[in-house]
Parts: sequence; C-alpha cells; structure tokens
Amino acid sequence: MSLVSQFLSQIQQQVRSQQGDLLRSWLQVEPESPKQYYDLAAELRSKFSRQDAIDKIVEDRLPQQDDLPEGQATSWPGLLAFLKDYLTYWRDVDFSDLLGAHQLLSGLVNSCSTAFAHPTYGSMLLQVSMSLSETLARLTMNLNRRPDLTRRLRVVDDDNRKSVAESSAEIIQKIFTTCLTDRSGTRTSKPEGKRVGIYMFANLVLKLLFACRRTQLAKMIFVNIESISPPLSLYPAAQRVTFLYYIGRFNFSNQHYHRASLCLQEAYLQTPPQLVSHRCNILTYLIPSNLLLGRFPSDTLTSRPEAQSLKPIFLPLCMAVRSGNFMQFQSHLAAHESWLLGKGLLLPLSNRLRPLLWRSLTRKTFILTYVPPTDASSRKAATLELSHLLTVATYVQHRLEGWQPYNPRLRGQPSQANPVFMKALKNNIQSSHETTLMPPANGSQKLRPNEGLIWGNAQVTYEDVEMTVATLVQQGFMHGFIAHSQGRFAIIGAKAKGSPVLAGWPNVWQTIKERRYDDEFDLDQVPGWVTL
Amino acid sequence: MASTTEPKVAEPEQSTPNEQQKPEQKHLALGEDDEFEDFPVDDWPADQTEAAQRNGETKHLWEESWDDDDTSDDFSNQLKEELKKVEAAKRR
Repeated sequence: MSLVSQFLSQIQQQVRSQQGDLLRSWLQVEPESPKQYYDLAAELRSKFSRQDAIDKIVEDRLPQQDDLPEGQATSWPGLLAFLKDYLTYWRDVDFSDLLGAHQLLSGLVNSCSTAFAHPTYGSMLLQVSMSLSETLARLTMNLNRRPDLTRRLRVVDDDNRKSVAESSAEIIQKIFTTCLTDRSGTRTSKPEGKRVGIYMFANLVLKLLFACRRTQLAKMIFVNIESISPPLSLYPAAQRVTFLYYIGRFNFSNQHYHRASLCLQEAYLQTPPQLVSHRCNILTYLIPSNLLLGRFPSDTLTSRPEAQSLKPIFLPLCMAVRSGNFMQFQSHLAAHESWLLGKGLLLPLSNRLRPLLWRSLTRKTFILTYVPPTDASSRKAATLELSHLLTVATYVQHRLEGWQPYNPRLRGQPSQANPVFMKALKNNIQSSHETTLMPPANGSQKLRPNEGLIWGNAQVTYEDVEMTVATLVQQGFMHGFIAHSQGRFAIIGAKAKGSPVLAGWPNVWQTIKERRYDDEFDLDQVPGWVTL
Repeated sequence: MASTTEPKVAEPEQSTPNEQQKPEQKHLALGEDDEFEDFPVDDWPADQTEAAQRNGETKHLWEESWDDDDTSDDFSNQLKEELKKVEAAKRR
C-alpha cells in the first residue's frame, strides 16, 4: 500500500473516532516535520502530480457514510476539500521559498476553517486548526520582518494591497468567529467544544494585526467578544495575559489611557515575575499609560529586573514633567525618538504630557514669585501674575531655540569666546533684549511644530499664556479663575487646603480619576474584557 | 554582519539560514521587535503571580504625588534670574 493510502487510512480512523489530538499530531505542516512527511511529499510528487489523482484517493479513502454507530463520525465535504489541500501542500511546498509556502499554507488554513465550521463534526478539528494557525502566524511574522520578500509580492500583485499579515489575520479570524458563535454550553459555563478556542484565535489575529499596524481592525474582535464571549477568567493564564496585553494596547492607541492601564496592569500582575521579557513588554505600555494619567513608576517598580531597560527612557521624562522643564523633555524625546516612534509612544507622550509640563511650570512660577501677605488676616486671594508666566515661557522658548544663559556661572562652563567680542555682544543684547540669555551665533534653531512651546518657532504671547492657564483650569489641573482685567490667575480655596500651592494645583491623578463625563459610563469597564 | 549582537529589524540581503538566528538575537536590550512572544506554558496557578497577593492592590507600584517644591535646582535658578532681570527692566 502506498504511503499516501496508509496515511489517509489512519486519518480516516481518527475521524471516525473523533480523535482531535491525534489528528493534530498527524496533520503536520512544519518544515521540522519528521522524515515520513518528506517521503510522503516525494511520493505525491512522483505519483500524484495531477490534481484529479489526489482528489480521487482522498474520496476513495474517506467515504461519507450514512448509518453510523453511536459516537462515530464520518467525513464531510469540507473535510475532503481540506485533506486534498493538505496533500497538495506537501506535494508543492518549498520551505526555502517563504512567500510560496505562505501562500500554500494560507490556502490550507482557509480550507481547514471551512471544514472546522461543520456544525456536527467540525470541532474535532479544533486542535488541528490551532496548530495550523499558529504555524501560519509564525510564518507570517517571519515574512513580516522580510520587506525584501514582501516588496516583491506587491510588484507581482499590485491590485492586492493587503499585507501578508493582514490576509493571514483575516483567515484566522474566520476560525475565531466559528469558535465564538458555537452554541455549546451557556455563556458563563466552563468553555467546551469550539468555544475553548475563542481567546487563543483572537490572540493570534491580534498579534498579526498589531504586527502590520492595522490595529483598528481589532475593534470587531472586541465588539464580538463583548457581546457573546464567555468571561476571560475561564481561560488559561497565558491566553488571559496575551489578550489583556493586546486589548490594553488597543485602548492605548485609541487614547483610552485609563482603560489601557487597567488591562495592562492586570496583564502585568497575572504574569509570574520570572517571565521578565513578557513583563518588560507589558511595562513598555503600562508605564506610559500611567504617565499620561499622572502616575509615575515607583522605586519598587523601577528596581525590578523587567524595568531596567525602560528606566533610562521613562525616568528622565518623569523628571522633566515634575519640574516643568521643557528643554529636558524635548531633548530626551529627541534622544529616544526612533525607539519611541517604533513603539507608537512618541506622539502620545510628546503631545499629551505637555499639559502636565505646563502645570508644573505654572506651579514653579508661582512658587518663585508669590509673596504671601504680611498681614495674616488678609482675605486677598493668592494670585499668579500671568506676566511672570509669560517671562518664564519666553525664556523656555528661547532655550528651546538654542539660546544660552549669558552668565557663565549659570551655564556651568567657562566661555571660550573672545572676551572683547562677548562684551560687545553683551552690550548689544542687553540694549535690545531684557533677558539673561543670548541668542545662538548662527540664529535661532529651526523647530518642528511639536518642538516649540506653542508651535515651532512661534514666539509666546500673553494670549498664549492666558489661554494655556484657562485650558489647565478647564482640565482641572489648576484650581481657580483668571482675573482677566488684572492679568492674574487667582487661586480658590487656599485657606481650606492650608496652602495656595496645594489649592491651586490639585493632584493630577486624583483630578483625572474624579472627572465626570456627560455620558453615563463606567470608567473602570473595558469593552471587550468580559468579566460578567 | 549577521554575527553582530545588535538586534536588527531586517537584513534584506540575508537568506533563510540567518533567519533561524534571529529569535535569539531579540530582546537583548530594548527589543525593536514588537511581537509579544508566546508563553512557555499555557497556564499557571494564580499564587505564582502578584495578582493573588495584596488583593490586587497596586499602590506600591505607582507614585501619585510627585510635585516638586524644590527651587534650588539649575532650572529654577535660571528662571529666578530671568524673572529678576525682566522685572528690573520693567521698572526702569
């Protein structure tokens, strides 16, 4: 009997007794498969080069039967089509041609998903579907790192604009949907049948969508899971953590930093400490989510092994936010720009931390300029003069443009320039600019819009400063009001809080947590994270 | 080129044998690869994780009060000088 016949006879027996685990171990597709598979491939090439020969032997070996004893299964058309594709796969696959292998495997997983969708017998293919999908995902991720190969694909097939990752995700998503819509058990009972695979397939699809940066397509997965999936807590830990990681990143990329922090924090807490690299991946997004919510990583967190490579990125940002130091902020972002950009962190951090920096800068300006009333019984509100803030903001803008403190003591280094020239410069500057800074010799540095305090090289105006304070008041980061005619920000409730600084600059995290919204919704509920 | 220890996004001119070295090369420092790797095991007991301890309390991981009242640092000193100078100029 030929190898192909023997192989199909075994498959037929496993189908009859519905042995999903055996089907999985027999229907291998990996390049590392044992020698028998390569022998099988050789036989297929020599004796089954015509498609009708493959079709015939599959149909002969796995006949569809009507009268079945209790507990036995028969083949079905979807299964036959899948097995035909399986044999074709081994006949034609060339593992040195990654693109070709991907194409063949995509077709195979596609027909597996059709066979899997059979309402009565499909679930015996759950494990096979898992292993094939995992292999497809792995191969796709390898291809995704090889733009030299996929570029060629685009030239060949110009109409098909989908990336390999996206098309693989689409195929696996069909299997996910079959699992999700399976009717076995109730929503909160222990998952059985195809529902066992819901999160495992969801995670594979999410991995691919994130790899090809098509995260918006993930929305449908979360919407569908939210409406009919069993709770996440009923699934194994690895699946829970992986799912929470992706749903956290999805919320992060949609600016839902609070929801992102909830998901990522739970993912982090559920991952054992010894899995350092997984915890590091989670922290890569958990720390920035919290920064944007006004919570900095504690010493406890930053002393852990998984935080070591992230510390040099995030701690200086915390320092800059803390002191309102835009120069330090911009130069640190610039130093890590490509890494932050690659992780999708550059834009959220460079834009959305600015209100916190402004808050610290206004706070610092108040501390530096406020003179408490000599009369302790004075009822006058503590105020910040907006002209002082304008002075400070203009100073910061000049520093961003490359101006340097004239005073060498403040610069921290002795000047190398010709003293006569410096004196001339000093006289010149002091007569035209009332500032401690001197402009760069070759003109102000050209700033990109996000590198300036307001917008690139735009000079800070009084209106900018007033509007910024108004915005911070509106966001709840400053507590008080603008006395427009007096050009001041007046603090409310200094007596009650015990100090104008405490009253005027409420805690950021508390403020964000206590914000109320027009629409009724629970900030602690994350759509797609089923807790029931 | 393939023997360097730096993680690389892609090496266009390399063929498949080098492909197999890549998994070991990643995550040496800050991983450039965005992939969330598969876990070595599918499940583990909750008591091996932090989630089971402290009743999920996570206050120890975050610092909520970080305001800086120190005005003796360089940046504050520079601002102080600047404010002084600008104020003096206004009065002139």
